[in-house]
Amino acid sequence: MNPTDADVAERLQDVELIDRLRAGEVAALDSLMARYSSRVYRLARGITRSDADAEEVVQDVFFTLVRKHDTFEGRAAVGSWIYRITTNTALNKRRGKRFEAEIGLEELLPAFKADGHRAGDPSFLLADWSQSPEQDLLSTESRRLLSETIDALPDHYRAVLVLRDVEGLSNEEVAEVLGETIASVKSKLHRARMALRERLTRHFGPNC
Amino acid sequence: MADGPTTRLTCQDVIGLLVDYLEATLTEETVSAFERHLEICPPCVAYLRTYRKTQELTGAAGRIEMPEELKTRLYELLLKQLDQR
Repeated sequence: MNPTDADVAERLQDVELIDRLRAGEVAALDSLMARYSSRVYRLARGITRSDADAEEVVQDVFFTLVRKHDTFEGRAAVGSWIYRITTNTALNKRRGKRFEAEIGLEELLPAFKADGHRAGDPSFLLADWSQSPEQDLLSTESRRLLSETIDALPDHYRAVLVLRDVEGLSNEEVAEVLGETIASVKSKLHRARMALRERLTRHFGPNC
Repeated sequence: MADGPTTRLTCQDVIGLLVDYLEATLTEETVSAFERHLEICPPCVAYLRTYRKTQELTGAAGRIEMPEELKTRLYELLLKQLDQR
């Protein structure tokens, strides 16, 4: 995907902001925070699933930005660089901690017969809750279910899902941030979405 | 899966192609075969609709803002860091 004129303009502004930050200009910090703090927080919270950890990650990322911005060589877009630091810091924060067991993705993926057609209870296969009222789809209970399922995804699947479906990055950008192939990103994204869809379908059921 | 005007896809093929279908990166012939399958397969139609809705709900549930109090605290800490350099 080719960058748009707006993308190019934003990248140039970002590089200029980093240069001004190097010179100690406080206004550059204001602009970088206005542009990135919520994105960094959302991504950190999305990966760590903890307010306290997200706060630490945001602090670490912006400290890196202020203290080690010399490591930014301008080869990558500043946005990608920030997303990469945030993702790595958030994944490191998860490492070594004990969490609830991860879900077995396989049991949440669709089953097929030998001829490639869907296997399972017909009423469940036909369950279409997509037109249910928004207040049901976004009820406290379904949000909790969604959140619990995202929590239980393997870390790298969750990172892909958040970068792609919450932050709206392209597959190419997610691959660059995570240092993975585009094929691997697409496979993880698909499996994560299918697992979430399955949980929601079990929740809303065939009588939606 | 052979790609041609008479290609017949199974449910497994269709579900495997969902990401590319939604991103409009499939060839015209594969899109035709995909949509021909949907015309005769209500379970895959339900799967496609609920998959797309899942994507929307994930985005909506994840769109949280950084608390203002945390922004202020972070900003003050960063100003000190800038001063110390």
